[in-house]
Amino acid sequence: MEPEDKLVARWLDPLVTNLGDIAEVFIETRRRTVIEWRDGQAGEPRVSFEAGTSARLKRSGREKLAFVSGADELAIREAIRGLQASAAGAPSPARTSTARPEGAPDPTAERWVRRFPGILQRHAPRHRLRWTLEDVSRRVVPSGLPAAAWVRRLFSLEGTFVAASRRGDETRGFSFHAPEADSTADELKQALTSAAAPRERPAPFGSASADVLLSSGTAAILFHEILSHALEADAEESPLSRLTAARLSVSDLEVRDDPTRLDLFGGYESDDEGSRPRPVKLLDAGRLAGKLLDRAHGGPRGSTGHGRRAGPGDAPLPRGSNTVVSAGGATTEEMTRRLGNGLWIDEIESGTVELSSGTFRLRYPRARRVRRGRFADEVGAGLLAGEILPALEAIEPMIGHEVRSCRSLAWCSRAGQVVAVGGAAPDVIVRRLSVRDR
Amino acid sequence: MSGDRAQDLPALLERRAPGAWELYRKRAETREADVTAQSRSDLWRREEGWAARWWAGGLRFACGSDRTKLAQAIERASDLPAREEPVPRLPSVEAVQPESGAPVDPPPDVFGRLAQLVAEKSRGEAVLASLALRRGRTVEEIRNSAGLSARVESGRLDGVARAVGRRASRGCEARTVFRWDSEPDLDAVASRLADGATFPLAPHGLSFPRGSLLLDPSVAAALLAAISPLFWTHPMPRWVKRSEFASRALTIVDDASADAPLDGEGTRTQRVVVVNEGALVARLHDLRSAASAGEPPTGHGVRPSYRTPPRAGPRRLFIETAQGVSPLELLKRVARGVFARAVTAPVFTDLERDRYEIEFTGVAVLAGRAMEPIAGARVSGRLSELLQRVAAVATDRQFFPIPDPIGAPTLLIERVNFE
Repeated sequence: MEPEDKLVARWLDPLVTNLGDIAEVFIETRRRTVIEWRDGQAGEPRVSFEAGTSARLKRSGREKLAFVSGADELAIREAIRGLQASAAGAPSPARTSTARPEGAPDPTAERWVRRFPGILQRHAPRHRLRWTLEDVSRRVVPSGLPAAAWVRRLFSLEGTFVAASRRGDETRGFSFHAPEADSTADELKQALTSAAAPRERPAPFGSASADVLLSSGTAAILFHEILSHALEADAEESPLSRLTAARLSVSDLEVRDDPTRLDLFGGYESDDEGSRPRPVKLLDAGRLAGKLLDRAHGGPRGSTGHGRRAGPGDAPLPRGSNTVVSAGGATTEEMTRRLGNGLWIDEIESGTVELSSGTFRLRYPRARRVRRGRFADEVGAGLLAGEILPALEAIEPMIGHEVRSCRSLAWCSRAGQVVAVGGAAPDVIVRRLSVRDR
Repeated sequence: MSGDRAQDLPALLERRAPGAWELYRKRAETREADVTAQSRSDLWRREEGWAARWWAGGLRFACGSDRTKLAQAIERASDLPAREEPVPRLPSVEAVQPESGAPVDPPPDVFGRLAQLVAEKSRGEAVLASLALRRGRTVEEIRNSAGLSARVESGRLDGVARAVGRRASRGCEARTVFRWDSEPDLDAVASRLADGATFPLAPHGLSFPRGSLLLDPSVAAALLAAISPLFWTHPMPRWVKRSEFASRALTIVDDASADAPLDGEGTRTQRVVVVNEGALVARLHDLRSAASAGEPPTGHGVRPSYRTPPRAGPRRLFIETAQGVSPLELLKRVARGVFARAVTAPVFTDLERDRYEIEFTGVAVLAGRAMEPIAGARVSGRLSELLQRVAAVATDRQFFPIPDPIGAPTLLIERVNFE
């Protein structure tokens, strides 16, 4: 049985002795269903039901966290006890664990299992795809603040499929991540149709500096790496950390981190410290605008609701959520013409950033060469690289008018902690990036 | 898992899959200290996890954070579709180690000492930015329908450290993972961090296009980890010629006998020579891959977590160094080349297409002497050619958690094109 929030808060209160101390209990239950789909056949189903509880105390530069499996009263008491042997007044475990029943059939999972064969048969009949449906429920009880709870249901389909192309069959990667909703099936079908479109034989690109048009929402991945990470409150080595309100890019560019966008993969109703999240402008009219704050770094301004954890066993860190770029006014044709000569990229597999050197990398599986504003030959897998400040300076002052969700942006790892992230962006042109084949 | 409390789970599984089930329980306690110059986090974790696999019209897997949750997950997984798959022969040994019950001590407080060493070795150009050290004890218990009853206890002390190098306005970060099986080896970690954080700030790149390549043990281990799927995947990529997999200087072994007597499925641990003097002679098997290949299991069913089913993989993979020479001797053999000290990006391999790419920072070597640091270089090409060009191995083998222990010495590779 779960104790009342007020009771848990009372258990925490003796730990808080100084102004600015942070103490909280974090409880998570997670239900995950995974099925491997191979050519329309379901296999190796995996189901997990997990619960974990942690208690945290942060005082100045010192932090303690205690984690135990389970999410009942016993687990909460034990986590609080584990915080500090000297926790005067902290309760000792006295009752036995009683787990809540969770085994009721999940109609959503069953519905998807029935739908998949039809969807896959039509759009990608030969495939090796892993489908995951994950229900995450989190509850945070902070000392001195209201408790918060939220639930997310996340849908992922990723793997490979065989597509017919003009050069014969080819194996292509596929990655689709979205919050589970009524529109997910239609969006998935659209993504599969687009991924299975016929393609030309790719030509090598070589190694050169090139202008790049990031299409289909992929600019969100670039800005996730170079702005969201660089503006996390604890990113002291970031090249942006001491540039308050500096103009870094074109005035047409506005980028924000928006956890309140629940239609994107990284959204949430409360962060993992119990703070209500709010959108944070990272770049406002090209100027550096804000930072992503958790409670420890919030100071008098307070947290922006970006204190996030991978799970109950981890301490929260200031992290990004959904990177959203505001629309401009240009059509796709205008953007392609403006690009002139360069690369058009509508799929990015992964990205990394190293803040100390200010460098970033994005890996793409394929691209399309653009010559004199027109699509030319296909280009194979490659790597984009650049430095944060020069890349922001090199953004073209013409932004696409249609903002698209980037459904391949899903999981972000930092210091071994993996959190859900998402993004949406219009078409964006970046000049003079370093490009090479992979 | 012994005792009355667990009796109902075997009964539940036996009803679902008579004679074809496995039950796993893991208990772990860890103490971790994440330290920077300004802050310190102490984390204590006590985790319990249960998992079950059973074959009933196909393989199914369920896990939970307690017995009740596992039972519920089993019910749910039983309702989902599964492909037909034959039941492998399950092991039936009895090997129950007594539990030590010893408390887990906090990891040693070595931030200050390591920071000092990093500063000394980098001549003040690099600082230790963070150190996360974790000490833990794990008890794993496995039962199955064939009568297996096993309990294995293991301990570890591992960590990750990060240093930042600065020279004028330029900065660079180096990160190293390590695992200490005995006393903390701060000197090796500090050297690796200092070099990794300062070499990329060198004013010059490489000035010659071709030569020999000396791989530091950490770089060689990263390469070995990247190619290790070749030792358990099936089918083998077409470019692999078993008898000429690598040069005769390379012998690769997996032997986790010192770590645990059984693997994650209850099969006895054994020493397996995977590559013998360049010839690929064996494959690492778990129960399922052994059954499908018609071969005996080799004790390589690994469970990175109770959340995932066991799979074939290396447990303690290393390059044999019995025929090795000293690292200094290898250095002397290099007429012109590079000593790759640290990778600057994850080693990339495309095993299907026989491709690899290593980006690294290091030191130029001329006439057997280390010269100046080079900011960065890259080697790429056919993996098959790279493996054939391994000319010699040294005796300075070190193990790195990637994430299982991977051991490699300094390697000398000849006739390499640099980019």
